Amino acid sequence: MSSGQSYYEFYRGSSIGTALTDALDELITQGDIPPQLAMRVLQQFDKSLTECLQKGVKNKTTVKGHLATYRLCDDVWTFVIKDPQFKMEGAGIAAETVTAPKIKIVACKSGDAPEGKKSGAKSNDFN
Amino acid sequence: MSGLALPTASSSASIPKAGSSSQANGNGQILRDDERLEGEGEVLKRAPAKAISSVPEITSVQGLVPTLQNIVATVNLECRLDLKTIALHARNAEYNPKRFAAVVMRIRDPKTTALIFASGKMVVTGAKSEDDSRLASRKYARIIQKLGFDARFAEFKIQNIVGSCDVKFPIRLEGLAFSHGAFSSYEPELFPGLIYRMMKPKVVLLIFVSGKIVLTGAKVREEIYMAFNQIYSVLVEFRKEA
Repeated sequence: MSSGQSYYEFYRGSSIGTALTDALDELITQGDIPPQLAMRVLQQFDKSLTECLQKGVKNKTTVKGHLATYRLCDDVWTFVIKDPQFKMEGAGIAAETVTAPKIKIVACKSGDAPEGKKSGAKSNDFN
Repeated sequence: MSGLALPTASSSASIPKAGSSSQANGNGQILRDDERLEGEGEVLKRAPAKAISSVPEITSVQGLVPTLQNIVATVNLECRLDLKTIALHARNAEYNPKRFAAVVMRIRDPKTTALIFASGKMVVTGAKSEDDSRLASRKYARIIQKLGFDARFAEFKIQNIVGSCDVKFPIRLEGLAFSHGAFSSYEPELFPGLIYRMMKPKVVLLIFVSGKIVLTGAKVREEIYMAFNQIYSVLVEFRKEA
């Protein structure tokens, strides 16, 4: 089941994802790896990151801010939040607050999570 | 407890009266219902001007006037709508066809919610006045138009008006239910309020022991005021002496 399952590709847009993509691009241009291998690596990245966030992350983050707009279409929630405050807390980390002028949260239904439970949030800084 | 009761004459004098201006305004609006929404400015600017002209006649008993809490209106946009396009491009829209076959959209001013159906029919709820309800409906129509649909603004109709009031004295619901049995339904095990179905005006009232009243089912606000005035004299009879 897990081998045939497809994963969201949106973590490729995160900073760790773009770093990986850049590195793979470089390896392809230098002729060190074939593009097919790079694709395979990215697919593995999608899978690993999804599983990691589902199972490995025990930290808790809360977001507070002004909900500027929201949308639900095709089982995807989109939220634009102005002046959000992220409070991060968890094992081994001191409570930390991160702010930004504006963020967008895209939340998709996660494949193997129980029905109705949403996860897989992606946040972009728009500054 | 009765310290709140004021002489009717003096208390009603402080309530503004605007005669039959609401009537005239209502007729004027009907003529404009079939127009196209042209410029955005027209939609957004014209309606507030109406708000000033339509202060209806307010009748009060003991200085109490029911507050309007919700107005439900329907509009026909007279064109088929692709709900997915709307959900995808409009802000503050929800579309989950598995659950409900309409786009749920909200705006902040006037704070309202619209249910937009593929047939082009729309239900706008949450407004606190007739003018707000109409203004909100036009704003939704304008949003749909801006998304490229040939939306018109037809058949605007207020379907329900809900008001509430507090008479500020407790009420013997059993006594009221007994003597007004034909209109009352009081089953405290099912619902703590007494449901009073008034015939003229045709308004349903929820009456609570606390003296708080909810009035619903009216098509025009005068029916809410009339119903309240009629029920008030009844409620005084069944005032609970603590």
